[in-house]
Amino acid sequence: MPRTAPKPSATNLQLVSRATYLKEILLKNLFLVCACVAVAGVLLIFGFVGLRGWPAFAEVGPWAFLTGTEWSPTDGQYGILPLIWGTVLVMLGALVIGTPLAVGTAIFLSEIASPRVRAIVRPAVELLAGIPSVIYGFFGLIILRPIVANLTDGLGFGAVTAWFILAIMIVPTIATLSEDALQSIPPGIREASYAMGATTWQTIYKVIVPAAKIGIIDAIILGMGRAIGETMAVLMVVGNAPVFPESIAAPIATLTTQIVMDMPYAAGMHRTALFGMAIVLFVASMGLVALVRLISRLQTSIESGR
Amino acid sequence: MVCVLLAALLAITGCSGKREVDSELVVTGSTTILPIAEIAGEMYHEIHLDRKILVSGLGSSAGIENVATGTSDIGTSSRDLKPAEEDLGLYDTPIAYDAIVVIVNPTNPVDELTTEQVRAIFAGEIENWSELGGEDRDIGLVNRDEASGTREAFHKIVMGDVPFDRTAAVLPGTGQVRSVVENARGAVGYISLGFVNEDVKVVKVDGVVPTAETVVSGEYPLQRLLHFFTVGPPEGLAADYIEFVLSDQVQQTVVRDAGFTPISGEVE
Repeated sequence: MPRTAPKPSATNLQLVSRATYLKEILLKNLFLVCACVAVAGVLLIFGFVGLRGWPAFAEVGPWAFLTGTEWSPTDGQYGILPLIWGTVLVMLGALVIGTPLAVGTAIFLSEIASPRVRAIVRPAVELLAGIPSVIYGFFGLIILRPIVANLTDGLGFGAVTAWFILAIMIVPTIATLSEDALQSIPPGIREASYAMGATTWQTIYKVIVPAAKIGIIDAIILGMGRAIGETMAVLMVVGNAPVFPESIAAPIATLTTQIVMDMPYAAGMHRTALFGMAIVLFVASMGLVALVRLISRLQTSIESGR
Repeated sequence: MVCVLLAALLAITGCSGKREVDSELVVTGSTTILPIAEIAGEMYHEIHLDRKILVSGLGSSAGIENVATGTSDIGTSSRDLKPAEEDLGLYDTPIAYDAIVVIVNPTNPVDELTTEQVRAIFAGEIENWSELGGEDRDIGLVNRDEASGTREAFHKIVMGDVPFDRTAAVLPGTGQVRSVVENARGAVGYISLGFVNEDVKVVKVDGVVPTAETVVSGEYPLQRLLHFFTVGPPEGLAADYIEFVLSDQVQQTVVRDAGFTPISGEVE
């Protein structure tokens, strides 16, 4: 821990004027309120979703709900396995395409690019994160889908279309975080590698990337979270058929897209089942955050153990 | 929105509130007809500021039941009366046609299907255009979402008890269905007649080209009437409102914009 200036305590605050003292107290509490609102938001949403969605597990049965292969609410079939499969399929494909792209971008930005090139590429990557997802979806629907339709002689809706859209969408998340990880490696390690006569490429894949491994894995996991949660862009290109697809170019649905499609008219048990799906999504994203925490703690303990 | 809520409230509580007889009209029923009834109601209110049309969409069955029990003044329905409902003494005023056309890609050589074939296609029983005299190409089914009134109509008119093929792409809008069918060579979908444009090819069903004329004459099979039901012939405010809905002012704008086919004829 670096040493910081001692915190102003109540006693030395009394030395300043009463107005300053009040202002300090007020601001401290204001920030406390800010933090509390964020936490309360999470708790409220979790409580609400849990309360509304729990009956789906209780009445359909957790096993029948999670592993049922038929999603057909109008016939009383509430099996979400095809939707979970759709979510996983879309997420994995996006990661396979997006990760090399993003990590490559991060390595380029951190290790190879000259400051001038970096000044162009980095804002461009950051801009990707700022594009509203509906624009990605629109791009996918209008540009990418007809291309896929031509290549596969089908409708062009399906996992493969979503992969390309999502791969681009998760690049900024993974690239920015990976670059942070690469940048946090002390320059001495790089210099030592070059001093040993290693080339740039040797330094990158033998020294830098292994050293930043855990940070990069964290970045990929957070990219996974983004891919699982993305709704609008995916909705526009997957075709929304809640079935196990015959091919990667056949319509599928994910948990998030099915919630959006069904919400307007769902009632009763159907609506409850949608909240049940929200619980599944919630648990999945909590699991990913927990994983990141665990890995970070592992890293800290390894480092401090050295 | 407030109107809808209020009307729903009135429908549920059996209009316990005091309301002046000739200044408010309660219209409940079909969600398909809701946009027509509502927009026409607003236009009517703008002309006659002292008269208010309260519109809500509870479904056709609820509309028929409400008008029969006196809860609402007009019951709207996108289906005909069932045998059990025919004794209720309801007076039927058709206000528009809802015709659904089957569309395919312009390059598709198939230009005629039977109702049975359409049903088999959307049930997933026919999976290749070659079975219908077309090219050897997989059929790309395009369906609408379950909240869609067009899907509901298509289901009732064409499918009956046969379930839709669940592997079909489900799209949340007429425009999307049209643009996908326009771009994918094997695609087939359905939209309301009012939304057909040059980019897609309309298929003849049972040998009949869907046009306003064949719909009105009843030759084209994939159609249904949209009804306003009243207890006995409409009187007073109800008659005036229905006459307004049937006027060109509503028929040529609101009805067409909603994708339906205007009905020719006057209120009697």
